[in-house]
Amino acid sequence: MWTRLVNGVVCLAVVGIASGCVDEQRPERETAALAADTGLTDIDLAVAAFNAQRQPGELPTVQAAPVDRWAGPGARPFEVAVRTSKQEAGHPRRFGSITLETALRIRPVSQYPCTSCHFGRTVVMTDDRIDDAHQNIQPVHPEETGALCSTCHSADNVERLALAQGEPVTLTESYRLCAQCHFQQAEAWAGGAHGKRLDGWQGRRVVMGCGDCHDPHSPAIQQRIPFRAPELERARTTHE
Amino acid sequence: MSDDGNSVTPDGAEDGTVLQKPVDRRGALGMLAAGVAAGAAAASACRPLNAATPEERELRVLEWQEFTQKHYRRMTDAERAETIQRIERLAKIRHDEDVTIATTDAQPGVLFGYAFNISKCKGYRNCIEACINENNLDRASDTQYIRIFEMEDGGINLEEADATYQHEVPAEGHFYLGTQCFQCANPPCVPVCPVGATWQEPDGIVVIDYNWCVGCRACMAACPYWARRFNWAQAEVPLNEVNPNQHYLGNRARKKGVVEKCTFCIHRTRKGQLPACVAACPPGARVFGNLLDPDSEIRWVLANKHLFRLKEELATEPRYWYFSD
Ligand code: SF4
Ligand code: SF4
Repeated sequence: MWTRLVNGVVCLAVVGIASGCVDEQRPERETAALAADTGLTDIDLAVAAFNAQRQPGELPTVQAAPVDRWAGPGARPFEVAVRTSKQEAGHPRRFGSITLETALRIRPVSQYPCTSCHFGRTVVMTDDRIDDAHQNIQPVHPEETGALCSTCHSADNVERLALAQGEPVTLTESYRLCAQCHFQQAEAWAGGAHGKRLDGWQGRRVVMGCGDCHDPHSPAIQQRIPFRAPELERARTTHE
Repeated sequence: MSDDGNSVTPDGAEDGTVLQKPVDRRGALGMLAAGVAAGAAAASACRPLNAATPEERELRVLEWQEFTQKHYRRMTDAERAETIQRIERLAKIRHDEDVTIATTDAQPGVLFGYAFNISKCKGYRNCIEACINENNLDRASDTQYIRIFEMEDGGINLEEADATYQHEVPAEGHFYLGTQCFQCANPPCVPVCPVGATWQEPDGIVVIDYNWCVGCRACMAACPYWARRFNWAQAEVPLNEVNPNQHYLGNRARKKGVVEKCTFCIHRTRKGQLPACVAACPPGARVFGNLLDPDSEIRWVLANKHLFRLKEELATEPRYWYFSD
């Protein structure tokens, strides 16, 4: 009886460890499956390879593709921090000294990868279908600008965004899509006046992507309650 | 007390000698400390020495040595190491804190500059929260180095701005402007110090030797930006909130009666990290970098944006610019 109990505990432990492993490796397996089915770009594969062997807390990044005038100060290459999978959701992972709460304020792409539902089917992209499965999307931006889903999303491949000329780009390269209209912001972002650098002022330059701060469907920054006010009266009389 | 190494009269030796040998102030007090340790002299009448535990005796020796230590800039490398060891030990004995105190010097070819985007700041005050935690600011008096002013659109009158707003931000029709020490290139706070306890480092950071400061507060009166803070009491930080990663010229424990201020997180920035306020700012309104590197972000901002500084007419030349999109 004792043996059986011990066996049971061991089995449970093994299952626990195994499921932990599966969880850890899921992004890799997902990307591997995607690679076979949808033909991943080099950037996807590079990010997946990096994710597979990175240390906890290390940044997944992607080299920013230089576009016309904006390539960073001194035209030096820089990298964009990327959230690729569910792996980070719900964990207060630290990016350098920045916690999830402050650096990454919006939800991760919650239903990624898109092919888990949209697989082998043509997507019908009309806004009255948003409520079917994407109730979390507030389409403020398209409504205000008159854009359609297909203005940014590729109908042929739901994993991709579509630039104006039809070129498909990955979600990690969303800055190329945003820059088509917001070229002034993109230039300031590449130069360092807009957005956020993560790794330090020296060495490797990693910046956050557009979607790390702005919800693409509702990009305006929302109001919230600030950190507590200083007690200036107390400070004046007891401190300064 | 004299700080120039002249002979002084140590306790109990009227002719200025100890053991028939002329000694300087430091040596004399050091010998006195040794005497205290042996229980031979009574430095404090209210605490009988023979009753002291070994740790109490060690504490008193260390306190004497701390009291008699040199100015930071006059220390040799060996003296610096000894000083650091002493301060770390004192933190352990006094507060049971395990801290690491760096003396990292300025990197050659580096001059720090800072830019603040008044279009981007939303008034969240995450910078203030990060600064309090990073720099071990006194919780009892609610010391804060950074102020965020809520200003009405179209004006820039700090006198009428509100730094104590407490409502959802950003508020309609307002913008936000943050201040802290600007590490002025021509800092009026430095020459007024009667004892040379505050000075500018080669990377532009204006620092204070807390062990040399006499607390006269002349520098506070001289700073046109209200950037310095005075410790009316020993700073209090809960043990589990102490940031153990410290610098001698930065966020180490401040004692009662000394002045402190923002040092651009000297313990972080000299290692290539960003100041805590820059790292914590959610909308990325803060830009920091090396002014001597033409390819740095701060240089890009200075070259491409409309800029202003506060009270430029005073010629303090802050290395802290404001810009808008
Ligand atoms: S802001 Fe004030 S404390 Fe800081 S360097 Fe300038 S004058 Fe000195
Ligand atoms: S308060 Fe300290 S740093 Fe300021 S002027 Fe007086 S001695 Fe110098």
